[in-house]
Amino acid sequence: MIITETSANGIVIVALEGRLDALSAPKLRGSPPVADPKTAVVLDLEKVDFMDSSGLGAIVGAAREKGDPACGIVLSCMNNKVRRTFETTNAQRLFHIFDDTSAAVDFAATRQIART
Amino acid sequence: MKFTLDNIDGHLVGIAELEGRLDASNSKPLQKIMPEWLEKTPFLVFDCSRLDFIDSSGLGAIVGCLRKAIDNKGDLRLSELNGKVAMVFELTKATRLFSIFTNRGEAVASFAAGADPGSAK
Amino acid sequence: MKTILALREAECAWVRDAFPCVHPLLLPICNKPFIEFLIDFAILVGSPAVRILGDGELDAVERYCENGSRWGIDISYANMQTGDSVETMLGKNRRFCDKERVMMVSGFSFVRYDKRRDYKSLAGSMPEGEWVAGPGGSITLFGAPEKPEAQAADAPLSLMALDGMASYYRASMEALETGADRYVLPGYGGEPGCAIGRNVVMSKSVEIRKPVSIGNNVQLLGDAIIGPSAIIGSNVIIDRESTVESSIVFDNTYIGEQLEVIGRIASGNRLSDPVSGVAVTMEDPHLLSGIRKSEALGALPRKIVHALGALILIVLLAVPFLVVSTLLRLGGGWRSATGDYLSGKSGETISLGKVEPDAANALDTIASTLSLDRYPWLFRVLTAELALIGSTPLPAETQHPNAPANALAYRPGVFSYAEAEQWPATGGDAAIVERYHLVHSGPISDIGLVVKAFVNRPHEKTTP
Repeated sequence: MIITETSANGIVIVALEGRLDALSAPKLRGSPPVADPKTAVVLDLEKVDFMDSSGLGAIVGAAREKGDPACGIVLSCMNNKVRRTFETTNAQRLFHIFDDTSAAVDFAATRQIART
Repeated sequence: MKFTLDNIDGHLVGIAELEGRLDASNSKPLQKIMPEWLEKTPFLVFDCSRLDFIDSSGLGAIVGCLRKAIDNKGDLRLSELNGKVAMVFELTKATRLFSIFTNRGEAVASFAAGADPGSAK
Repeated sequence: MKTILALREAECAWVRDAFPCVHPLLLPICNKPFIEFLIDFAILVGSPAVRILGDGELDAVERYCENGSRWGIDISYANMQTGDSVETMLGKNRRFCDKERVMMVSGFSFVRYDKRRDYKSLAGSMPEGEWVAGPGGSITLFGAPEKPEAQAADAPLSLMALDGMASYYRASMEALETGADRYVLPGYGGEPGCAIGRNVVMSKSVEIRKPVSIGNNVQLLGDAIIGPSAIIGSNVIIDRESTVESSIVFDNTYIGEQLEVIGRIASGNRLSDPVSGVAVTMEDPHLLSGIRKSEALGALPRKIVHALGALILIVLLAVPFLVVSTLLRLGGGWRSATGDYLSGKSGETISLGKVEPDAANALDTIASTLSLDRYPWLFRVLTAELALIGSTPLPAETQHPNAPANALAYRPGVFSYAEAEQWPATGGDAAIVERYHLVHSGPISDIGLVVKAFVNRPHEKTTP
């Protein structure tokens, strides 16, 4: 799995590419912006072509460690496969999910301003 | 099953209170006690206000009671069917067999001489 | 213009309680799921793409609507949070909206429209903002009008909140009564006010009083009175002499004999009064019950009884079979043709040899009297491929109206219930008899019916 970090509008965008499974999940958890409880992150899932329960667990676990679980990690660009994985466990209820990364960044930025 | 007698206009009317469920497992006692009641009077009212559930064998038992009452030249009238019980009566068309009243008083009064049993609601 | 259909779980929570077997968005109104009315409306407004937005699971909806190719549009799904504002909802679907004009239909409300009117021009000329609103939802347009100067004729549009059993009942009856004039309703509608689905088997004595809507695979048995204002789902059996009037009968429901369902909603073994909201769960399966596919609990005792019955017949008929079939074979009078037949499990076939004893002589008479032509099939009962008595096995190649894919119940048997009842073994009437018994008979009554079939079969042959 390839993890690319960029930032826009003061929000870190973590784009994932490839398989998010038991092998790559620790890598995601170890990524500094994801691990830091104070950083709001937009997780771009567009290029994730496979995700299993440990991948899902990594995202949910990382969100739990954030100060604000719903806004600490904002998801964007889920494809149908990934969306269905979320829905089978009802994990979609825990996240704000956007179909566009820029909209997710705007949302996360507004939230951050509102909080400070 | 509480059974009381009431005298209305010279008629002795028997009032039985049905309670809880009336189904295959507990409709026997009703059938057994019915002759005892009929010895006292053939004019009966079943107060169903505390009857929560009835199934087809319970319904069968009540229809059996009606038949016996009619055989004894009396009648069996019902009062205060709750929503669920009323729905089973309507579904099975049993409402057509019985005079059904909204409260016990009306049901008893309907046995008074001259009262029209057809005024059932 | 694109369409977003936004529905929140809280708005339709009552459906989960009242009808646990259906997803609220798939709640049937008349004979079509709720969501399909909204999709139809989106198409009427000219949307090439519809996004269904929910705060709960949309799995069942997705399985039903798929990608929308059935309607020639593109349907996609997205999640939102319960408390999301309209701006957030639009933000979450920014890529979908793509700077185009968007119509957002929100709330669990029945949209009253008229398919003959031109909503496309109307929506195109409407200013941005709320189009209609009701207590349970709204239709709002976002983005500049496509053709602001166009003069479009006004068309009726209103919302009716579906906030409980009573409003659901009213909406369904309204859809039935206004019917195919205003909404797109499926089914064969030979005449107005009467939509009937595929594979509906009706006894001759059934009385239909318009308006009615009947789904697929429905059986209406003798002297049933359906309507006026009856909405009957799919896989429903209405037994003899019962009346269904001003009522909704959900999919997979059995309504027993001589009952009167008036102003009610029946779903499985649950009967509800839409006005008072009272619901009774029937415990008598002969009054009201749910219909499940034949792989039920009763399947095992039935299989055992059938296997034992088959074993007895195999033993009793062994000697006559060996003697008669050998003699007939020598004389060339025993011709067997192997063909593929539909198995009880959908998608599978079994191959059976069908024997036609030939000319009428003494041996043939014995063969047909003892049903020796079916003898080889008896072994298939032991392997549980066939039942001892059930439906007439259907050839696999033909698209038969009783094919298991769309039939209520099909259990191929050595003997068929129709043979037991001396009905002609094919055609609609036989199908009624077979399905009636498939639903009603138990292992013990099966034995009696086998005996009847065994005795009656020769008769059937002599009277062509």
